[in-house]
Amino acid sequence: MKEVMSGNHAVSYGAMLSRAQVIAAYPITPQTQIVEMLSEFCRTGRLKAKFIKVESEHSALAACIGASIAGARAFTATSAQGLALMHELIHWAANGRMPIVMADVNRSMAPGWSIWTDQNDSLSQRDTGWLQFYCESNQEVIDTIIQGYKIAETVLLPVMVVLDAFVLSHTSEGVDIPEQKLVDKFLPPYKPQYKMDLNQTLAFGALVTPDYNFELKYQIQEAMEYSLTLARKVDKEFKRFSGRNYGLIEPYRCARAEIILVTSGTITSTAREVIDNLRKQGEKIGLLKIRMFRPFPAQEVIEALEDCKKVAVIDRNIGYGVGGILCQEIKSAFCNNARRPEIFGYITGIGGRDVTPDTIMEIVIDVRKNNKADNRIKYVGLRKLR
Amino acid sequence: MKQVFQLPPWAISTESTLYNKTGSWRNYRPVYRNRIPPCNNACPSGEKIQQYIDILNQEEGLYKAWKLLTQDNPFPAVCGRVCFHPCENSCNRSDYDEPINIHTIERFIGDIGLNEGFKWRLPRVNKKYKIAIIGAGPAGLSCAYHLRRRGYQSTIFEADNKLGGLLSQGIPSYRLPQDIVQAEIARIIKSDVKIHSNTAIGNEYDFDKLLKEYKTVFIAIGAHKEKKLGIPGAEHPSVIPALEFLYQLCAGKRVKIGQRVGIIGGGNSALDAARSVLRLGKKPIVIYRRTENEMPAILDEIQEAKEEQIEFVFLAAPERIIIRNNKIVSLECIKMKLGQADKTGRRQPIPIKGSDFKVGVDTIIPAIGEEVDTSFIPGSFLKVLDDTVSTNYEGVFAGGDAVTGPKTVVDAIGAGKKAAHLIHCYLRQVCLPVGASEKPVVFEDLNTAYFEHETRIPSGKLPLSSRLKTFAEVYQGYEKPQLKQECSRCFSCGVCNKCDNCFVFCPDMSVNKRAGKYEFDYDYCKGCGVCVLECPRNAIGLVQEER
Repeated sequence: MKEVMSGNHAVSYGAMLSRAQVIAAYPITPQTQIVEMLSEFCRTGRLKAKFIKVESEHSALAACIGASIAGARAFTATSAQGLALMHELIHWAANGRMPIVMADVNRSMAPGWSIWTDQNDSLSQRDTGWLQFYCESNQEVIDTIIQGYKIAETVLLPVMVVLDAFVLSHTSEGVDIPEQKLVDKFLPPYKPQYKMDLNQTLAFGALVTPDYNFELKYQIQEAMEYSLTLARKVDKEFKRFSGRNYGLIEPYRCARAEIILVTSGTITSTAREVIDNLRKQGEKIGLLKIRMFRPFPAQEVIEALEDCKKVAVIDRNIGYGVGGILCQEIKSAFCNNARRPEIFGYITGIGGRDVTPDTIMEIVIDVRKNNKADNRIKYVGLRKLR
Repeated sequence: MKQVFQLPPWAISTESTLYNKTGSWRNYRPVYRNRIPPCNNACPSGEKIQQYIDILNQEEGLYKAWKLLTQDNPFPAVCGRVCFHPCENSCNRSDYDEPINIHTIERFIGDIGLNEGFKWRLPRVNKKYKIAIIGAGPAGLSCAYHLRRRGYQSTIFEADNKLGGLLSQGIPSYRLPQDIVQAEIARIIKSDVKIHSNTAIGNEYDFDKLLKEYKTVFIAIGAHKEKKLGIPGAEHPSVIPALEFLYQLCAGKRVKIGQRVGIIGGGNSALDAARSVLRLGKKPIVIYRRTENEMPAILDEIQEAKEEQIEFVFLAAPERIIIRNNKIVSLECIKMKLGQADKTGRRQPIPIKGSDFKVGVDTIIPAIGEEVDTSFIPGSFLKVLDDTVSTNYEGVFAGGDAVTGPKTVVDAIGAGKKAAHLIHCYLRQVCLPVGASEKPVVFEDLNTAYFEHETRIPSGKLPLSSRLKTFAEVYQGYEKPQLKQECSRCFSCGVCNKCDNCFVFCPDMSVNKRAGKYEFDYDYCKGCGVCVLECPRNAIGLVQEER
């Protein structure tokens, strides 16, 4: 059934269809609508879940962790400062192997106070052991939440589904809502091997000596590696019942391309238009959308990019002191690869500044005229100072 | 997915951690120990106030609350009306917002007891012992009741035809309706207490004869003898002592007073007289030699009198009554100023020379205090031993206003209770402690983070307009919802009321609940003291472990 809804409500629907059993969240713009609608679902009985009101995001994730240890499917959502406040428990959830799904609506970190999008909030959690998916459309949001639980509960790692503030969160699009019956078949109830149980003696999260902790951490990396394979499989399985899949990455019109733009989030759909126009004019240019950021699908990225001459990575984030984070990931993926395109890093759209087709064109024009890349950061749409 | 050793995915122990008895790490041990709430501590008749409020909060029934309350005080409906409630003055809630309205709660329980006809279950009477009580006032009746609770029957000798002493002779009905007093007295008499009314010792019955016959006597004759005004003109028939005035009113008789009535004094009798005069349609003027701050009357009554716009002349003492044509025309007074505080802590009034002035009155009601009349008792029986009710004469006990001078109803009830206790000890030759004296809980002992600010629920009250012309009761008490709301404000100082805080906050899950009670699991309690801090009412203490 198709319905017009915002990206936020697509998240709520995704969590409801996944039959989340415990929802704990603290309101923060631009996320609030997600849990507002979920609380409404709980109130009307449309979703049979325990909605826990908490006094902070730290407690929100703590409640989800508790629920998850007790064997419940848990969901939370947040943005920016809220996500940062969760940081301790972000580690806890991953190290504790909790298959929690969280929606993070990308919002620029304060100060200066902002409610608009950029990716620094979620990317600063990249090494915590959470899987991360960056979504391009509302349809992808609802589908990724459902896929997220399936992946999370298999590899026992938490999943973060990321969407841009306002550009996606508050923009309405037609969304095909999967049938509950089919979702139930795709995503059976969560049955953990270990859970808190009054009839079974188990202690969770206790002291671990150096004798074992290394191995426990190793297992997380092992699970991360496995989740690349698993995510591909789950995506295909999802297509069988919904007709839709997304891939871990998506090469768009990359055949015999000399220049390939690399994007994530909603910049992708803007870039698609630019690529379509340029292809019409006969230019050999393509686009690579990075959907899964953690684990980073390095091999797939190499294969998608190694045949072109120039790669322009567009980052809506800054790794202060280095440059665009996505750009760093791609450069390091190519580090030990024999064939290597020139990799240009562009930073744009910080703090929610609009990224329009003109912005993308500026990048294309810049890539066209440079043949050799260096490590200097290129800024697009930055106001000239002084 | 292959796994490295046989490790679970994360730090999960499938073994129990119970082998690790962390209780051995403890330096301090928490203990549940109920302390004395300040209200209970302040009550002269030893009511377990916190406990009966808790019974109401736990919804264990009004009968249970009434039973507990009347264990200590057989006059809850009376005290709920006229007690000066030292419990409320000591209530820790005063430091937070407003004290619990204990007297209105007590009144509710007392009234329910009367309306529902609640009965005591008392032990069978042991006929071996004969005990006489002189005076059927609150002290005598309380003693009779507390003796009856212990299985003794007593015989009360009362000079008047009505029982109750001051309760039925001196408190106007707008404060204390007579049917309430008589109903609570009747309940005591019905529980098998013998009464000889209209029997004044000394006149109808000789004291020595009484002593020979009964062996054990409790003297509770009160303090009735009005102090003399002792100024020129005080012998005029329009000078009516307050107690006599109130006695006549209580007896339903008409008392002849003029249009402007000067009442001399600042105690309860003075205000009772003034407010009664007002209700008789005349103009009362209260003349007191100190200021409002030093008035011995209870605060509520001062407030009521002010609400009723009774005129006060402070810092004035009567000098002489001016009589013309055999009628009082005015009272000459002298202005006073306050000097140094005396032994009682009140500042002494000092006359200001040449400051004479006149107050126009045609009737004067002196209410300057009462004395004990011991004329019928030979010798020095009323020499009471320190802080007890035993006298220097074997088998003779004395208490109430007769010993202390004019005090309050609840002090008299407490004295009667104490007397019953000591008479029991005397008759059985046992020594039982009267009650442990411990430091009551103070406000600083509480963790008020768990209490909301809530205003005190006032008792229902007649509107001012309809109370000026009638002797109808001013206070109307609570309805059930108000009772419930007010009881819920109680901090339950020092006494566990099963709030679950210790159970919830113990980080080691070392608080167990068994059969509605909490227990520490000392095998695992590390003595961190979180329970002690989180207990809102200081019902948990820390004791150092012995090594």
